[in-house]
Amino acid sequence: MSYDSIKRRLLPSIAFVLALVTLAAAQDIASFEKRITVKKLPNGLTLIVCERPEAPVFSFHTLVDAGSAQDPMAKTGLAHMFEHMAFKGTDKIGTTDYAAEKPALARVEVAYSAYIAERDKEVGRNEAKLKQLEKSWKDAIAAADKYVVPNQFGKIVEQNGGQDLNASTGYDETEYHYSLPSNRLELWAYLESERFLHPVLREFYKERNVVIEERRLRTDSNPIGRLLEQFNASAFEAHPYHRPTVGWMSDLNSFSATDARRFFDEYYVPANMVVAVAGDVKALQVMPILEKYFRRLPATPKPDETTTTEPPQNSERRVVLMEKTQPLYLEGYHRPDYRTKDDAVYDAITDLMSEGRTSRLYRALVRDKKLASFSAGFSGLPGTKYPHLFAFYAFPLPGHSTQEVADAIHSEIDRLKKEDISDEELKMIKTRTKASLIRSLGDNQGLANNLATYQTRYGDWRELFRSVDRIDKVTKSDIRRVANETFNDTNRTVGVIETSAGPGARGTDQSSGNQSLPDQASADRGGAQ
Amino acid sequence: MKFTRTVLLLILLAVSTLHVSAPQVWAQATSWKQIPIPTLPPFHPAQPKRIQLSNGMVIFLQEDHELPLVGGTARIRGGSSSEPAGKIGLVDLFGEVWRTGGTKSQTGDQLDDFLEVRAAKVETGGGPDSTSISLSCLKGDFDDVFRVFAELLQNPEFRADKLDLAQKQAEDAISRRNDEIGGIAAREAAKLAYGADNSYAREPEYATIAAIVRQDLIDWHKTYIHPNNIILGMSGDFDSARMEAKLRAAFESWPKGPELTKPEIKFDSARPGYYLIPKDDVNQSSIHMVALGTTRNNPDYYAISVFNEAFGGGFSSRLFNDIRTKRGLAYHVAGGIGTNFGHPGVLQFVAGTKSQSTIETIQALNEDIDNLAQHPITDDEIKQAKDAILNAFIFRLASPDAVLAERMTYEFYGYPSDWLDKYPMEVQKVTAADVNRAATKYVHSNQLAVLVVGNTREFDKPLSSLGPVKEIDITIPPPPGAKEAEGAKPTESNQEGKALAAKVVAAMGGEARLATIKSVKAKITLTHTTPQGDFPTQMETIIIFPDHLHAEMQTPGGTMNIVVTPETAFMAMLDQGMRDLPSSQKTETLEQIKRDPIFIAAHAKDVNVFFRAAGTEKVGDNETRIVDVNAAGAYIRWYVDPQTGHILKETYQTLSQSGPVQGETDMHEWHPMSGLNIPTVRHNKQNGEETSTATYTAIEINPAVDPRLFEKPAAASAP
Repeated sequence: MSYDSIKRRLLPSIAFVLALVTLAAAQDIASFEKRITVKKLPNGLTLIVCERPEAPVFSFHTLVDAGSAQDPMAKTGLAHMFEHMAFKGTDKIGTTDYAAEKPALARVEVAYSAYIAERDKEVGRNEAKLKQLEKSWKDAIAAADKYVVPNQFGKIVEQNGGQDLNASTGYDETEYHYSLPSNRLELWAYLESERFLHPVLREFYKERNVVIEERRLRTDSNPIGRLLEQFNASAFEAHPYHRPTVGWMSDLNSFSATDARRFFDEYYVPANMVVAVAGDVKALQVMPILEKYFRRLPATPKPDETTTTEPPQNSERRVVLMEKTQPLYLEGYHRPDYRTKDDAVYDAITDLMSEGRTSRLYRALVRDKKLASFSAGFSGLPGTKYPHLFAFYAFPLPGHSTQEVADAIHSEIDRLKKEDISDEELKMIKTRTKASLIRSLGDNQGLANNLATYQTRYGDWRELFRSVDRIDKVTKSDIRRVANETFNDTNRTVGVIETSAGPGARGTDQSSGNQSLPDQASADRGGAQ
Repeated sequence: MKFTRTVLLLILLAVSTLHVSAPQVWAQATSWKQIPIPTLPPFHPAQPKRIQLSNGMVIFLQEDHELPLVGGTARIRGGSSSEPAGKIGLVDLFGEVWRTGGTKSQTGDQLDDFLEVRAAKVETGGGPDSTSISLSCLKGDFDDVFRVFAELLQNPEFRADKLDLAQKQAEDAISRRNDEIGGIAAREAAKLAYGADNSYAREPEYATIAAIVRQDLIDWHKTYIHPNNIILGMSGDFDSARMEAKLRAAFESWPKGPELTKPEIKFDSARPGYYLIPKDDVNQSSIHMVALGTTRNNPDYYAISVFNEAFGGGFSSRLFNDIRTKRGLAYHVAGGIGTNFGHPGVLQFVAGTKSQSTIETIQALNEDIDNLAQHPITDDEIKQAKDAILNAFIFRLASPDAVLAERMTYEFYGYPSDWLDKYPMEVQKVTAADVNRAATKYVHSNQLAVLVVGNTREFDKPLSSLGPVKEIDITIPPPPGAKEAEGAKPTESNQEGKALAAKVVAAMGGEARLATIKSVKAKITLTHTTPQGDFPTQMETIIIFPDHLHAEMQTPGGTMNIVVTPETAFMAMLDQGMRDLPSSQKTETLEQIKRDPIFIAAHAKDVNVFFRAAGTEKVGDNETRIVDVNAAGAYIRWYVDPQTGHILKETYQTLSQSGPVQGETDMHEWHPMSGLNIPTVRHNKQNGEETSTATYTAIEINPAVDPRLFEKPAAASAP
């Protein structure tokens, strides 16, 4: 029940999965061909079953091809909010009497909209009336709450042995997953289809408070969270990637259950959904069961998901956060979306720069220059579906500045632009990416995730395996060309955390008086613009 | 093709109706209760083969032919719980440098190249009870990779350059450990539950990391890395008989080492009560309510498992339903009676809530705990919890690797090898009475140490409204070289301190002359020391005590002016306009003014200026007296020559571009200037590295100052 925090994407391992880097030998398609069945239902929903009879369990991954990039104006956070509501049950799960609960929930919405209308009046707000309206809204909530059986959806899953019951919302998509013993396949098919057939948005305003706590946890109370929110807002001006997935605080305090329902009706349509199951299941046996339940979702046209295209950036942008924490350097360069013919070239650059102790950034910044405790570069900030950023970052060691690590990153980028990489490096990239796909195949949840993702993004799960051919075709000159096209000063957004001393922190003094000022001035000149 | 499938489908479905009645399969279920749940077929996962070599090494072999991979991990007895208190972090560094430092025949960097080109890994690590070395590779590369693994296990080199690198990384981790509220809370909660010095809770410091030398790593390897301390588990696409032969050939002749003695570890929980760590850059509080937990060989373990699931586990638990769902107070809330295999776990209840509901949330958690007495866990809750545990049990067996890892754990901690097999039966037997007995025995709200990390100014009520509060200081002790500044914040003067201050005042020109000083103008040559060479800058500063500064600097880009007053802080450059300085820099600069020796000497008798003599130290050839100074809230340490009253050195905390550093200034060339006597050459260092030299060429006392110099408009450029 989390939004896909971009902070997590600073972790290279996760960035790899999200950047769709994994590869394998092409001949694996043949062996998987026998184990994978795909069916597109008449309502547009795609089902994938992958047989992996290692143990009597299965995992699933439901992917909805809509994320926070689809949040309406002034309602940021709505995609993530609905994801939380998908755990609140249905007309049969989570209620003692839906016939009575339904009108009670409708009254909550009427009362809330009256309250918000008064609260947001620009002129002539009546405080006494506002209090009255707030009370009516809260009374309506209390009346509706009487019918709630709390968390019944989650309880059913848990009681049946469910593992890793969770979901996440990213900029590009929303996903739901858990695992069950294989004798619960039909129970799962029922629960997962009902969840999107008859969702009931009960306890909405209490859950909204939970989401606000999630924002405080991941963004407001976390220096890296604060940086990333500002960084994205600066790197993207026109495209919705400039908004936080969790939502701005004022939107969180305003949108309604009616808004969330509207979002659901528009984007949670079968044509926008892929459901993948992997584990101890036989396609011949389970496909009819899945079909029976999921075909009930009403067919609706795929929504219009047109977004504004981010215009080319023509000057460097810079975000500097003065924090009472240790420094961090981050920079991002705009690149095309994942469908570009150069996607595999970016993947190769990620591997070369970031993977393991032979990576160029580790060797330069960590091992040789001893400037940073960690440094890496990766694609996929903050998403991949639309044009996004290739980012580099480093944590400077004590006594070293963000400018020093920035300079060191830039000299590695210059090398990439000016010199061909070696034959050994190219071979290593290709071997490693193949091995990394093989390693990812031994896990039901990971498989279901990969299959659903590739099916959604390319219309064919086989692309997961074909990506090996694409990386095999990458040449040294491709890498130089793409580096020269992408990693340019005017295409760069920089985000840094610098250490400040606030009240109670250690003071400063570089002797008696003002000798320190030139230092501070130069630190700041870097931070101007 | 399609036809065949349909036929097969019908046959298969017909078979499945033997397990469940046909109408239910075909009917459209209208409630989850109507869905048939067939019996899970019996599942007997492959058990690893256990072998013990004559030298005591235990080996588990687990074949898994799904993918063309081989993996292995050796777990070796002896971990950070056995490291000496003065060298905390030793096992962390050992775990890192074991691999990066290479073998006798190859450097770590050579190993990196050798392994990465094969997409293979050999890694090492250190933990509280053990160290480990692991490998992972494509099966065709096994022999090559295993050779590296075996050589690293037996003949590591611990090259010094990699220890140095690992120490820098460890120092970086220390410097960042107070950056995130979650990390602070988890660390300090463990200290409260186990005791601050307990080996499962204590933390490395700059001093303990600096104390570790290469010989310590060599000694650790010599003491602990013996076959009779090793449990090696291999899994993957291999033939057990052939793998056994390879492992015997590699390890059978390795001589046995001495038996280890288990370290005595004391658990000394903090007293129940309230503990506070203020953090003013957050809007959410992290609450941890803790006590000492227990071990898994405790007969109550199974009842505890059921209690934890029912009270603080997932969606079904009381805490989730009350604190998160009903009250909407937290995104994250969980807890239970923690257990470990080898040492007690931490009993803890955890929640994160907005600052404004901190006290409310603590009270709600307490209510839920107290409520256990009036409303014991019900039969329904027990059933829900047991079903959840038992139905999920299959996942603990769901991969050959998972089964292998469980077996290695039992072997390591001396639990019976069938411990996992017994687990579901034991959970099945647990009754409501057992669960409530465990709750009564272990969980009491008045026996918990309650830790709150948060923004105290925003709390709904002071934490002290709940009871006496102990504040925990998490200031990171500075590196050993900088140690003298630690704790140097006197709040009263001592006799010797006052006497030395009087000497300094006399040496600088006497109380009478100093008392007339309202402002100082100085001409300074400031030379920056950089790797590219020295860069001199000419500057002129005007300080009006206690809080106005104007500096004019000649830079390659032109004249720059900097102004800092309590009201404003900006820099301005001709042609480039004016820009505000961040408030943090303003604050810092204002403190710097108060650290000026002229200011301190002129205010030596003020009520908020204190001097405390604190020992002696040699500066150059001179034996100096150390004086810690608190100048109206600004702190500095002087090293005073008792003969002359000259300050020969100052140390202080300051900020560089990359964070807090230890500043040091050597004061040379004491000469008369405008009726005062001051150090005219000052060498500045940060964390021991030369940064700059300031040479004073002239000063003027109480100069005529145009007040417009301090006004903000762009006029603040060169006159």
